[in-house]
Amino acid sequence: MLEDSPDRRGFLKYAGAATAASLAGCMGGDETTETDAGDGDDTDGGDGTDGGDDTETTDDGETEVGEFEVTITQGNMPSGLDPHDHRETPTDVVMLHAYEGLITRDAAGSTQAALATDWSRVEGENAAEFQLREDVTFHNGDTFVAEDAAYSINRIVDEDVGFASPQRDQLAGVSGASAVDETTVRVELDGLNPIVFSEFATYCDIVQKSWVEDRSKSEIGQEMNGTGPFQLDSYTQDEEVVFTRYDDYWDDPAEVSELTFRSATESSTRVNQMLQGETDIIVNVPPQEVNRINNSDAGSVSAAPSTRILYNGMRYDVEPFSSKQFRQAMNYAVDLESIVSNVLGGFGAQTGQPTLPEFVGHNDDVDPYPYDPDEAERLVEESGHAGVEIELNTPVGRYLKDLEIAQAVAGYIDELPNVSASVNQRDFGSLTDELLTGNIEDKPPWYLIGWGEATFEGALVMTALLSTNGALTSWSNDEFDSLLETAANSTGDERVSALEDANALANEEAPWIFLNQQYSVYGVSNRVEWEPRSDERIDAYAMSPAE
Amino acid sequence: MSLARFLAKRLLQGAFVVWGVVTIVFGLRVIAPGDPANVLLPPDVDPEVRRQVVAELGLDQPLHVQYWKFITGVPTGDLGTSLTTGTEVTARVARSIPATLELAIAATVVAVVIAIPLGVVSATNRHTAPDYGATLFSLAGISTPNFWLGVMLIIVLSVQLNLFPTSQRAIGIPAIFDLVASMQFAAALEGLRTWLWYITLPAITLGTYFTALITRLTRSGMLDELGKTYVRASRAKGLPESLVRYRHVLRNTLIPIITVVGLQLGTLIGGAVITEFVFDWPGLGQVLISSINSRDWPMVQGSLIVISIGFVVVNIVVDTLYTYVNPRVGFD
Repeated sequence: MLEDSPDRRGFLKYAGAATAASLAGCMGGDETTETDAGDGDDTDGGDGTDGGDDTETTDDGETEVGEFEVTITQGNMPSGLDPHDHRETPTDVVMLHAYEGLITRDAAGSTQAALATDWSRVEGENAAEFQLREDVTFHNGDTFVAEDAAYSINRIVDEDVGFASPQRDQLAGVSGASAVDETTVRVELDGLNPIVFSEFATYCDIVQKSWVEDRSKSEIGQEMNGTGPFQLDSYTQDEEVVFTRYDDYWDDPAEVSELTFRSATESSTRVNQMLQGETDIIVNVPPQEVNRINNSDAGSVSAAPSTRILYNGMRYDVEPFSSKQFRQAMNYAVDLESIVSNVLGGFGAQTGQPTLPEFVGHNDDVDPYPYDPDEAERLVEESGHAGVEIELNTPVGRYLKDLEIAQAVAGYIDELPNVSASVNQRDFGSLTDELLTGNIEDKPPWYLIGWGEATFEGALVMTALLSTNGALTSWSNDEFDSLLETAANSTGDERVSALEDANALANEEAPWIFLNQQYSVYGVSNRVEWEPRSDERIDAYAMSPAE
Repeated sequence: MSLARFLAKRLLQGAFVVWGVVTIVFGLRVIAPGDPANVLLPPDVDPEVRRQVVAELGLDQPLHVQYWKFITGVPTGDLGTSLTTGTEVTARVARSIPATLELAIAATVVAVVIAIPLGVVSATNRHTAPDYGATLFSLAGISTPNFWLGVMLIIVLSVQLNLFPTSQRAIGIPAIFDLVASMQFAAALEGLRTWLWYITLPAITLGTYFTALITRLTRSGMLDELGKTYVRASRAKGLPESLVRYRHVLRNTLIPIITVVGLQLGTLIGGAVITEFVFDWPGLGQVLISSINSRDWPMVQGSLIVISIGFVVVNIVVDTLYTYVNPRVGFD
């Protein structure tokens, strides 16, 4: 029922193929971005609607078996195709199909080999070495060598090589790289850098040195030449990215033969596209739309915990939040379990510490605060701030159900007989401006914000959000700082145990009202077999046709 | 006043309006909350990188320098570069214009084709069932928010009945022209079918309010005219009723409607924003909304300027046409 009729598919394909052929003819047909400078028309003929089967009849009547076309609809299109010039997830998701790093992560977050087969620290020196895979080719047919890997690393960390990459801080502690021989690359470090391999597992896509050097910045933003399982077929900025399977991939070729990325900002538009069979994977299904998908024949909703944590920061330097008892009281006053099940429709997990369960440093012995309004009332009295009025500053529409969460939190606190609380809806831009000035005095005393950290490192989250000099901090605690310091200068169990202690301390001191771990909620078509991951990567290489 | 002088005067006024809009959108950026650099860059980015990005964007320059650069760029078509993608605003905005124009024109066609006959039927059958039906339709049409109508059309006609695609624009008119130019007539015809198939729901959504408006306008205009002396005189002369109604009355009624249609076309270009959003139609409105969301100010400014220029141009054209159709108005 939801598949397109052969008739509709037929004429769409016909029109699309004919249009593409005509445009290619006009433009010489050898550009991957042939439609980009054109008239804004998608030359694809709308064949994202190709519904459901794995066997297609092509225009010239031949039948190809095993073709498997997948369309993914995100909320935004990539900001460009330069793998080192972005920091947004939607762009990252597109990138990872064509570009690969030296090492990567599996769905559970653990480090895996990619273009490097082996990696280790250099004994006695602040350096690390990667042994590279042989017989890897770029999409233009050239062989991948260590020189390319070194160049890619330097392009991120050294602005003299390329430009000021916004990923530089994601390779913090890396000062440069050089090729030792054809298959070994050496990375220089500023110091011990205990998380260097974790950084490389998340960032540093490998580009080909000569290919990049031959192109202008704008060309690098519109073409692709990676080593990944898919190669770029066409790119229409802000409209569509189409990949085809790269048959010379160093690992098994992907099952997906053609991969299309589109975007629709409005969530109900995405849901409708999916119900109609126009797309196969959609992101950010809002809780109220979940049943509509699950009750349809088109597909179902699939969710995974993301790396994003939501919290209510409280400034430690202003009353009443300067009181530890008051901050703890706020945590006891909120029925987090109910917020997760009612506001988020179950698509969230309660937190009680700044580090999420999947992350290095999570303390399994620390539980979320229980809902205990009597204890909250008692602690407020004890803090000496009974009768206080407080206001929660929250962005609207930035995180899943952010306003509703804020309203629920303020509602629970307002129910305490000795505190009144209200919500102040804020523009996200102006709220972040206040949070990012670097001066604690500029921040609102009480605010809702979220933080996603794709490196799975609790240390990075806590440093940014809770250390005295952190980018977003509104708390300062010497003991906490020294625990992070210990972690930064140690490895192995010692490091993990320092981070666990820091998490326990954060729970006890309650610098935040701990809220929820956000879930990534996807709509997945019945045609596709795919499991969502917690790092928000939508990896078409892991997709296969549903049985 | 001659036509040339009239046009010169109108163009000059139009230029002033555009200048005003340009100044206002520049001012909006200045007073709007949110530093673009904070939206572009992750919070924990190196301060040095942040400083470089701000310098690259020219945001560290004094305001009057930024304003001068901005305002002198407009006549040359240089609207700056997008903050998020680094591409030229002019090219991006220009690429989205055909989609918006297609939608605005299609909506106008839907409206005119339905509304004028409906208004005529309504006026000539006053206080009968067809009149009540038409009045009810226009009342409903004017009161229905188009985002709701769009979503309902999608849910019923696309998702449940599977008659239309839910969203997007698979092919555009310029691509169809390319096909015609390269003599691929069969493909062009298929392209046109595809285009129609994709644009139907957005055009109905955008056109409904407009249809209702013109229906009411036609009805009341026609009733006005029907009560005039020349109508009675024509009837007394023994002219057939159909000739009176359609040759004389309707023609006079259409004069103010041309103005409204013209002005509404301008409004539709700007007002297509919500419809484009619901149907994921890749036009100016889509660019505007996504740029606002990402605080991509050059793109916001560029699309607003183009929308305002479109509005001014449509106005001038309508005024000129109006004077042409109704010589009593004159070029003054």
